[in-house]
Amino acid sequence: MKITKKIVTKIEGEATLKLYKKDFLIEFAEIEFWQYRGMEEYLKNRAYMDACVINPRICGICGHSHLIATSKAIENALDIKIGNKAKILREITLGLEIIQNHIKWFYLTLYPSVKEINYFKALEFSKEISKIIALIAGQFPHNSYAIPGGVTCDLTNLEIIKVKNSLSKMFDRYQEIMSVDGKSLDLEELFSDIPKSIGKSLNRFLILGNNLYFKSNGNAEFVKEEDSISLNKNVLYKDKFYEVGPLARNLENDLIKKVYEKYQDSIYTRIFARLYEVNLIFEYLLKIVDEMDINEKNYIKPIKKNGKGIGVIEAPRGSLIHKIEIEDEKIKSYNIIVPTQFNLSNGTKDKLSPAQASLIGEYEQQSDLIFKCFDICAVCVSH
Amino acid sequence: MLDINKVKERIESLKKLPSLGRKSVKEILEENGFSRRDFLKWSGALAVSLGLPATFAPVVADAAEVSNRLPVVWLHLAECTGCSESLLRTDTPTIDDLIFNYISLEYHDTIMAAAGWQAEENFEEALKKFKGRYVLCVEGGVPTKDGGDFLTIGPDAETGLSKLKRTAKDAAAIIAVGTCSSFGGIQAAYPNPTGAKGIHKVLNKQVINVPGCPPSAKNIVGTIVYVILFGQLPAVDNFNRPKFAYGMRIHDLCERRGHFDAGEFVEEFGSQEAMDGFCLYKKGCKGPYTFNNCSRERFNQHTSWPVQAGHGCIGCSEPDFWDSMAPYEEPLANHKFESINADATADKIGITILTLAGVAVAAHVAISAIKPPKE
Repeated sequence: MKITKKIVTKIEGEATLKLYKKDFLIEFAEIEFWQYRGMEEYLKNRAYMDACVINPRICGICGHSHLIATSKAIENALDIKIGNKAKILREITLGLEIIQNHIKWFYLTLYPSVKEINYFKALEFSKEISKIIALIAGQFPHNSYAIPGGVTCDLTNLEIIKVKNSLSKMFDRYQEIMSVDGKSLDLEELFSDIPKSIGKSLNRFLILGNNLYFKSNGNAEFVKEEDSISLNKNVLYKDKFYEVGPLARNLENDLIKKVYEKYQDSIYTRIFARLYEVNLIFEYLLKIVDEMDINEKNYIKPIKKNGKGIGVIEAPRGSLIHKIEIEDEKIKSYNIIVPTQFNLSNGTKDKLSPAQASLIGEYEQQSDLIFKCFDICAVCVSH
Repeated sequence: MLDINKVKERIESLKKLPSLGRKSVKEILEENGFSRRDFLKWSGALAVSLGLPATFAPVVADAAEVSNRLPVVWLHLAECTGCSESLLRTDTPTIDDLIFNYISLEYHDTIMAAAGWQAEENFEEALKKFKGRYVLCVEGGVPTKDGGDFLTIGPDAETGLSKLKRTAKDAAAIIAVGTCSSFGGIQAAYPNPTGAKGIHKVLNKQVINVPGCPPSAKNIVGTIVYVILFGQLPAVDNFNRPKFAYGMRIHDLCERRGHFDAGEFVEEFGSQEAMDGFCLYKKGCKGPYTFNNCSRERFNQHTSWPVQAGHGCIGCSEPDFWDSMAPYEEPLANHKFESINADATADKIGITILTLAGVAVAAHVAISAIKPPKE
């Protein structure tokens, strides 16, 4: 047996991949992360509102998801109901973060590991999208406009028209990348000399968040963390590993289901689902923008001072969980479980995590691509 | 006195050095649909934001064109990649970022083409090849506890601390990008479990700090262009921040400043005052204590900034702001100092924050609180 130690970079940080091979095929893989920052430690004993400023800094790529999850956890702990307008605004910014993340991931992380591409195409989108988020939230990345009880911003009619206009313009332009009937030249080009059916994984999917158009199929209460050999923690649901992310949460869609039936949970299906999800989010956002009533209140003040709460959302990479315990307006304890922990846990030979399972039986040359298909976020893991 | 001829001489000497990039600035701009006129407009604007006279605009353009003679090595330590995100991806492709991408980035974890072993090799090679010539940009704080074991990089599991020291040794200039590398950032917040510090604390060389969480792309590019123009580091304040960007308080040019002066404050999020765009000081805005140019430059192509979206400034470009500015939704003047780290916080505030101006601000707010609310 041969063991190769690989460093996987360009995943917003780096991971160590130990590949155990037999006859050139991968037999087993170990995943390690060697960074730690201690986010949960700084949150202790601070005013609970501070979590809304600190938590986006967990990650520069999907920080907005952390902000929304934080607000939801606090709202859950203090029994706050938010208005419809605040809810819609949050859906728009979170949906947009998912969209720009997927486009950048495809053109900046995944594609260059196979062949060269002009990434300005992707940057054009992210520039326009970050502008709309900034219009609502103030800046991107790292804003704190979503606070427990609502939002701080107060949009005018003109700004909402700008948002709507920009959304439909980008939706149109996105058709060049992946059309609503599932045609994508760049995706086919990427797979011109790679088999579509490699990287099959556990075929076990989990959705925990109920935001955007996603419907959960589980309860976050059953999620458990356990120590692993490196500085990250493994995450199990009912004592089993599950895959989270765009493939897991879009199997209801007919087109994605068709691809899934043909290639199962291979890398092609995984990439297809991620790219196609952008279309579905655009459609959803364009629908809810019209349902917004700008005369509604932006914010409802919390009354309670103590409580325990959980905030679960579907973030760009899958289900994100924030748990908070508030005592006398201060944070007593905080726990964060990120999607990459679900997908990239380091399991044993008889109990594999989704990323480990996807590598087994494949050639080493393809391990980088298969691994990156989960859209790994190393900084989130090292929170 | 600024001597334009000296600058021209310097640029001429740089022009003689071999170019490191594959394409010229002109080609890159044309490919991306920018005209020469756009480029000159950008140069003029940058000259102004650097505090240079308008006559320097063409020289700034020249400096940008020779910028690919300047190799840049970019290190990621304990951080969230948000600085790279905002600089290299989200804002692009404005001309600032084009130039930024164009400046020869010899090593950058997130955006370089090489990956894995190959990347490590490129790194070692760049250090040797450009010894004494490269500009080192560092993103992220450096964990120092237990010998720096909370951050290891690369195949040999080298600690971030050792990699930073090694890379800094032969750098021509060192720029700390973002609050984490400047002052330790969020990692260094109490109780600082990994012993994270700003990089200047572990290096015995001058470091230019470009703090912000995230910092504006203009401030980074401005600092680098300044280094090219003058062959030296820009004028800095006592926290080593370039004065052209961090010379004024957020408060000085804030669009809500008029309301502050008139004593009109937001007392509650979502209230009528909030909708009228009153001053956010009482909701914890740290603009009066924070030196940065956000209120002038804004973010995401001048679209907006936190105060415009109704949330106060959190003071992200100030040292130790994670502790000294907290709680972020309450005014500093009401600071109760009752948290577990009260002693540390009180000391830090005493030294870094509560300047005379701060006292005056608090007094002003206290007086205006007595005034009856406007009908």
